[in-house]
Amino acid sequence: MTRTVRAELLKLATIRLPLGLLTAAALLTATIATLRGSQAGGEGHMAIPPVATTDGLTALVASTDMALVLALVLGVVVAAGERQHGTATTTFLATPGRPRVVAAKALVAALAGAAVGLAGAVVSTAIALGFVAADGGDPAIGGDTMARYAAGATLGAALVAAAGVGIGALVREQLDAVMGALVWALIAERLLGGLFEAIAPYLPYTAATTLGGTPLTGTADPLAFALAAILVLVVAAALIAAGAWRTDRSDVT
Amino acid sequence: MAMVEARGLTKRYGDQVVVDDLSFEADAGTVTGFLGPNGAGKTTTLRMLLGLVRPTAGTATIGGARYADLPHPVRQVGAMLEDPGTHPGRTARNHLRAHAVAGGIATARVGHVLEAVGLTDAADRRAATFSLGMRQRLGLATALLGDPGVLVLDEPGNGLDPEGVRWLRRLLRDLAAEGRTVLVSSHALAEMAQTVDRVVILDRGVLVAQAALAELTAGTGTRSVLRTPRADDLVAALKADGADVEPLGGDRLAVSGSTPERIAELAASRAVPIVEHTTSSDGLEDAFLRLTRMAARSGAASPVQEDA
Repeated sequence: MTRTVRAELLKLATIRLPLGLLTAAALLTATIATLRGSQAGGEGHMAIPPVATTDGLTALVASTDMALVLALVLGVVVAAGERQHGTATTTFLATPGRPRVVAAKALVAALAGAAVGLAGAVVSTAIALGFVAADGGDPAIGGDTMARYAAGATLGAALVAAAGVGIGALVREQLDAVMGALVWALIAERLLGGLFEAIAPYLPYTAATTLGGTPLTGTADPLAFALAAILVLVVAAALIAAGAWRTDRSDVT
Repeated sequence: MAMVEARGLTKRYGDQVVVDDLSFEADAGTVTGFLGPNGAGKTTTLRMLLGLVRPTAGTATIGGARYADLPHPVRQVGAMLEDPGTHPGRTARNHLRAHAVAGGIATARVGHVLEAVGLTDAADRRAATFSLGMRQRLGLATALLGDPGVLVLDEPGNGLDPEGVRWLRRLLRDLAAEGRTVLVSSHALAEMAQTVDRVVILDRGVLVAQAALAELTAGTGTRSVLRTPRADDLVAALKADGADVEPLGGDRLAVSGSTPERIAELAASRAVPIVEHTTSSDGLEDAFLRLTRMAARSGAASPVQEDA
């Protein structure tokens, strides 16, 4: 297993995808946090409460949504890209135990996803603190809370990236897998959460975002940190297991 | 025991039978050509052999074990299937490094195989910039990485220039001479005739023939083109010996239905000088076409098998 993980790490480190997604996550997070911060206390589309308040600063620090989206995409591409580029043959010739390959990919994607989530958290926290400094007051939330949100965004991104590997292994075409994952995360969960507020905290992608401090849009409270983490972990594990089963049963053509 | 062995191998996709009850062998120290028209089921068979496609029925083993059960697959079997399977954004060196790590092979082998296939200068270029011939060479480097005893190569000559084709021929012959088992599929029959020791011919998923090349082509004979200043004398001798002779104008003759050795014997016995003698590989092509046509006419024909 160690050999397979090392090979998957090397494969990911020797293409441009992870660095590109890491950079994109940092830039998109910076853009969103800056827009939110500049409209804090106002009435614009992206307006949040003033940064001097707990809610305002929390919303700013938790501008890590796009990092999670990109971590999800990374996970999907790590698995589905093997078929897209015809490299599955080489991979499974070296490691005929296909479930082992899927598990190794999930682990490696989780590590890369964590880096993407951490990058988003560092950028959003830095920009939030910049707005606080510009405002001239003390931060409304403590350093330990900010650190917990950063850890939550990192963990959430790691888990959704691992879940993405499961999706990528389940769905044969990379484009279908990416689109399906994005539609679920960005549209289906928001619709379901909006229609049935009580289930919003239990929707897996939503739960992953709440790890990083992102508030729910309705009146429901987010799950406790540990419970949300366990929920996303269980969903990711189920997707990985299903993807491994499908990969093991499929012909590599 | 044959190193590569298929027994009753069958693959169906729904109602379509792609490979039907196929049995064949490839031995150590030989190059076995795996031949068949487009859509004959060659690639599917090789993928079943390598554990990539699940057979509907039958078994395929390498050294007596299924590929998935080999303890060190990359060190025991080197495979190249059509496209070499390289990420376009990854360099040749990194592709091989990753394969080496996954297969438990020392990464020092990477430089060695890059040199062996003539890609040292392009090692740090991304695969997307490679020509088809370079991608084929990288695929061969991947197959050779583990210094395996068995090589399974699907159309390795595709995209190679004439120099590359000659290099590949020598490589395959050298590998077999080292005692390795080489199973190679190809459409290039003339090239195969110069490379392989044995052939397995497949048509529409069914075994058509499995025999030593010499045995398979014995009936067809080799076509010789030769030049002699005493063409009339040699024509008479060859015809008397049962060969078909076609004058090509001047002092040139085309001879079929005889062997180069027999032609030389006849010429020597009559003191006829031969100033040039070339042979063409129509023998395998003729045998291939004859056997696949026979199979088409008779449905599932009885395969031609070598004498035990």
